[in-house]
Amino acid sequence: MTIERIVAALLILAVLMASLRLILWQRSSASAPWRLAALLLLQPLCAGLLFLTLYPPPTPTTGDTLRIATAGTPRLAAATPGAPLVILPEAGDISGDESAPDLATALRRHPAVGTITVLGEGLAARDLEAALAVAVRFTPPPSRPGISHIAPPRGIAPGEAFSVGGQLTALPRATIDLLDPAGRVTDSAMPDANGYFTLTGTARAAGTTAFTLRVRDGQRVVEQTAVPLLVTDSASPRLLILAAAPGPEVKYLRRWATDAGFAVTTQMSAGGGIALGDPTIAINGATLRRFDLAIVDDRSWAAQRGALTGAVREGLGLVLRPSGPIDGATRTQWRALGFGIGGGDLAPIALPKVAAPALSGTRLGIGSTDAPVDIATPDDLLPDVSRLPLTPAAQAPTLLQDASDAPLAQWRAIGTGRIALFAGVDSYALTLTGHRALHNDWWNALLRTIIRPASGVQQSGLIGWANERLTLCGLPAPTPVERPDGRRATILPVQGCAAFWPDSAGWHRTGTGQSFYIYPAHALPAMRAARDRAAMLALRPPTATDRAGDSAPGPSWPFALAWLIASALLWLLERARRGRQSAM
Amino acid sequence: MSATALTRQWTAPARTRAFLNAAAIGVPLAIGAGAVAWRLAGIGTAIAAIAIGLTLSLLIALRLAARFDERWLIRTLDARRPDMEDSAALLFADVATLGPLQRLQSARLTARIDAETPDQLAPDWRRRSIALTAIAALSIIAFALLWPRPGEGPPTLAPASEGVAAAPGIPRLVAQNLRILPPAYTGLPVRDSQSLDARVPHGSRLEWTLRFDPQANVPHLLMLGGQPLALRRDGEDWIASRTADAAFLYRVDPAAGRGPTPPLHRIDAIADAVPQVKAISPKASLTLVSPGQRNWSPAFAATDDYGVAASARLRITLAIGEGENVTFTEREIAVRGSGPARDRRFAPRLDFGTLGFGPGSDMVVQLIVRDNRSPTPQEARSPSLILRWPSAQQPEGSGLEGMVNTVLPAYFRSQRQIIIDAEALLKQKSRLSADRYLARSASIGTDQQILRGRYSQFLGGEESAQPQLPTADAETHHNGDGHDHGPPRQPAPGFGVAEDVLADYGHPHDDSASSSLDPETRAILKNAVDEMWQSEVHLRQGHPDLALPFANRALRFIKEVQQATRIFLSRVGPELPPIDPSRRMTGKREGAASRTLAVAPIERGDGPAAAAWRALGDGPGAIRGPIALDALDRWVRSEAARLPDALALSGALDAVRRDPDCAPCRATLRGLLWTAMERPPARPARRVAPDANGTRYLRAIEGAAP
Repeated sequence: MTIERIVAALLILAVLMASLRLILWQRSSASAPWRLAALLLLQPLCAGLLFLTLYPPPTPTTGDTLRIATAGTPRLAAATPGAPLVILPEAGDISGDESAPDLATALRRHPAVGTITVLGEGLAARDLEAALAVAVRFTPPPSRPGISHIAPPRGIAPGEAFSVGGQLTALPRATIDLLDPAGRVTDSAMPDANGYFTLTGTARAAGTTAFTLRVRDGQRVVEQTAVPLLVTDSASPRLLILAAAPGPEVKYLRRWATDAGFAVTTQMSAGGGIALGDPTIAINGATLRRFDLAIVDDRSWAAQRGALTGAVREGLGLVLRPSGPIDGATRTQWRALGFGIGGGDLAPIALPKVAAPALSGTRLGIGSTDAPVDIATPDDLLPDVSRLPLTPAAQAPTLLQDASDAPLAQWRAIGTGRIALFAGVDSYALTLTGHRALHNDWWNALLRTIIRPASGVQQSGLIGWANERLTLCGLPAPTPVERPDGRRATILPVQGCAAFWPDSAGWHRTGTGQSFYIYPAHALPAMRAARDRAAMLALRPPTATDRAGDSAPGPSWPFALAWLIASALLWLLERARRGRQSAM
Repeated sequence: MSATALTRQWTAPARTRAFLNAAAIGVPLAIGAGAVAWRLAGIGTAIAAIAIGLTLSLLIALRLAARFDERWLIRTLDARRPDMEDSAALLFADVATLGPLQRLQSARLTARIDAETPDQLAPDWRRRSIALTAIAALSIIAFALLWPRPGEGPPTLAPASEGVAAAPGIPRLVAQNLRILPPAYTGLPVRDSQSLDARVPHGSRLEWTLRFDPQANVPHLLMLGGQPLALRRDGEDWIASRTADAAFLYRVDPAAGRGPTPPLHRIDAIADAVPQVKAISPKASLTLVSPGQRNWSPAFAATDDYGVAASARLRITLAIGEGENVTFTEREIAVRGSGPARDRRFAPRLDFGTLGFGPGSDMVVQLIVRDNRSPTPQEARSPSLILRWPSAQQPEGSGLEGMVNTVLPAYFRSQRQIIIDAEALLKQKSRLSADRYLARSASIGTDQQILRGRYSQFLGGEESAQPQLPTADAETHHNGDGHDHGPPRQPAPGFGVAEDVLADYGHPHDDSASSSLDPETRAILKNAVDEMWQSEVHLRQGHPDLALPFANRALRFIKEVQQATRIFLSRVGPELPPIDPSRRMTGKREGAASRTLAVAPIERGDGPAAAAWRALGDGPGAIRGPIALDALDRWVRSEAARLPDALALSGALDAVRRDPDCAPCRATLRGLLWTAMERPPARPARRVAPDANGTRYLRAIEGAAP
């Protein structure tokens, strides 16, 4: 029972009691019938006016507010009283006060409108710009279960391991599988408390690839969507490996890098001025400028510190690695670079658990005569690989972690270059015990983070849907866009950005070499809904200065005045001698 | 004639007749059951069934015969012989208990009884039952033997499901059968497959029986990438056969290329697995002879998918002798296995005397089993098991540098172990009796004495211990310690490798242990030995608590020795390279120069697969029309061994070739290509360079001028 009703009930009670009193009074001392009738009539009138003073009726809101029906608006919205209901095309077949092709048209037809109430799931991207002009009242519907966000990996090199991140909404117990293009499950995970998940897969040769993300709730497939992947080949990076002594770590690093197609220069000092490896080069700024990457052990670092630091400032990517326990001077120097080297001896690395053969088999390609397939089974002995004690550091973000979440590598920027510390010692043991893929992943992650930058096209993380406007930026001049079926369209940028209307799903390619993937219109509904919802919530909500909406009470002063007059009349009538019995 | 003899005489014919009656009914039934069992489960079961059946009928027959006893006789005589005058019982009664009248009657009966023969009392032959049973048994046996087996006689054709549209006038496959005849050695039955796809044992014979409507003229089986197989007409049906010596894809072509292309079928040839052998006992690869042992019975288990040959060979290698004077003899003996064919056990018994195995020798045995594949059986070898008979006497150093042949595990305990033992003993003190406590303490004292002896020899001590090596406490020997260690030790080809622990620890520079230490080290070591002596004294007196401080100090001294210097240990093996003494320690470096070590990248090759992968996709490099797949086809054929499923890839390739616009076919092929690509070691892409502002920012935080 609302307060309004309580007040109304009290007033009715008061009117009844007053009428009873009047009738009793009439019986005791009879007066003129017209007087009684006037008094009896004035009582409810007075009560009604008092109620209207307290709760004035809503004023007709013709001028400044509108209700907008969007997709998912209930059919009964028109039946609810309120501001005029404008039906947008997404709302479907429901009846309202008027229909408009878009919000801008509706606002043009009602120029006085300052506030709109959006019903349903929210405005389409088309109407968002028009909605900026008015205050928007919007209660978001509950989130749709499914993948509310997905981050496909960008800039993948052939053979690289990549991770797909994302978020699930309203599916706490779901399992997420990553399926490779052959349809095999290559990774599986459960979302964390906030619904976030990360899955790992491996790329193969250059080209476009579509992995599949499958969300299962038990055995039921909730959602399935493509993870577009563009694998691009790049020029051979030039790598310098400096070691103060020959050793297996250098040997296997050199082997790995050579096989991976790096242009490798190895310099191993054997003491007494004798160097092994590739033909000797001088280490100075000029020679280091020729390299994109350098992997340097602690003793070589001590010898070439100045030249290396200078080269890093100019863009060189430098990986420092300990060849064993390091001495105090090196420890201090590395700490001064910002790396979180703790005290203490080498600690063993906690290697990640070996996945089941069915899963790990999908992450490796076929073997060759030179390099047969190399799978470690869960029963195999773990190799003895150790690491320097590394603690998280403020200046140097952690790049790699072992299975116990201990930092294994950290990096930081110095000038335009980057410098990383790999804390592992004897990582070569991985290649000898069936963990070659892990060795590859570690070193690749290190090197790709710090490699010398080069001007080139950055693949955008653009996600678009078919039949939805897309904004492409970074375009200096009119550029053709090639659609998946080979049709071309030229887009005209304004201030570097251009609009594009994809009408088919698949890989699109701009003339500047940028490729982007367009999802089918029905794909990732939860992600689209989440995006639209976020866009809606970013609009300006109504403030105190904006007129209240359809439930706004009207002015109460006319009723107060009328009530005062009616009360005065009543008082006068009761007090007046006219028509009283005593006059007789 | 006594009553018993009389009874036997008169009942015998009846008993025999009853027994024969029952047997004549039971035996045919048992044989019939045997025939059914033979048909259903083989000869072994059949013999068992017949044996059980016969035993049962024998028991029943005996039981039936036993019914004809004395009471039956009296009853029958009274009933059948009026001259017995209903008093036949008197014949069998004890004469002593009879009255005079009874005795008289008994005598009369005795005189009369032989008027008829006992044979007349025997029951009749049960001719009808016997005949019926015989007929029933005969028909059961006939059924069992003549019931058609699967794979025999003309096959029943199953309706075809090729899924191609019927075209008027063009023959179409309507019925099919694939008969699979596995090789005899597998012991698998012939079977009929209603589908044209099958997984068959390698070497099976395949027989297709196909029917076409309308009748075909020259139908073929088109092998993908092989010669077509012509079908032979046999009445209404067409027949072809071939041996499945490899997996292959084929399609039935009824109309020589006219009409729609029928789908591919796949035959997988399952290769015979190599037998698996494992050692059941002993579990460890090395066993030591226990005292008094006269023979050895290692046990092996061999499994195979179709069967292991009952006879295997056991290779016995004897290494007799010590030091350099080791003679090897190798021989093979035949061993017979027991158990079922698929899981045989081999447990040869090896007598030491016969083999000539004695102290100081090693015996290495390895079992070599074969499966029953024909024509060439597959062979598998078990892991080698070593039986070692340690020599009573330790070999002596030969005096040659690098040629010391002490090959014995360190049986003595380390100082650390002595401390651990002593501490453990102290903890258990309350639970042990005084005598036992003293005995345990003294035994640790003995260990301490042995250890002290080991270290004493480095001091040129007087101890009478054998030349031995120190324990793990002193075993440090680093690379880069300034002297040459020779090439990395190769695993010795032969036995005892796993136990040859001491060989890991170093190499001798001098055959005299005492001369291998400098004076400081000797001093520390002497302290250690002194402490050990004290520790030993207290341990032997039953005071491990008093001994502990000394033992701990001894350990500390040993650690100091480790850190102070190197101890050069004798090491096994003659494989050290000759050291050129004229160049050693001279400081001359001729010939030592920088060297270029070449490294060549490994060859990788999934080029055609990756190219086709790009062409089939929808990104850059995609080809939307027909794709030239010849290179991929050749690559798939040549690399079939590397690919997980080359046959499926060939099939998908064929489908895309036939219909380049078929999107699902292209997707299938692309999916299969994914499994046929290498994963190259990653080569990172370049980072994107920061723009002008970014560069300025990076330089600014570095403190440099922008």
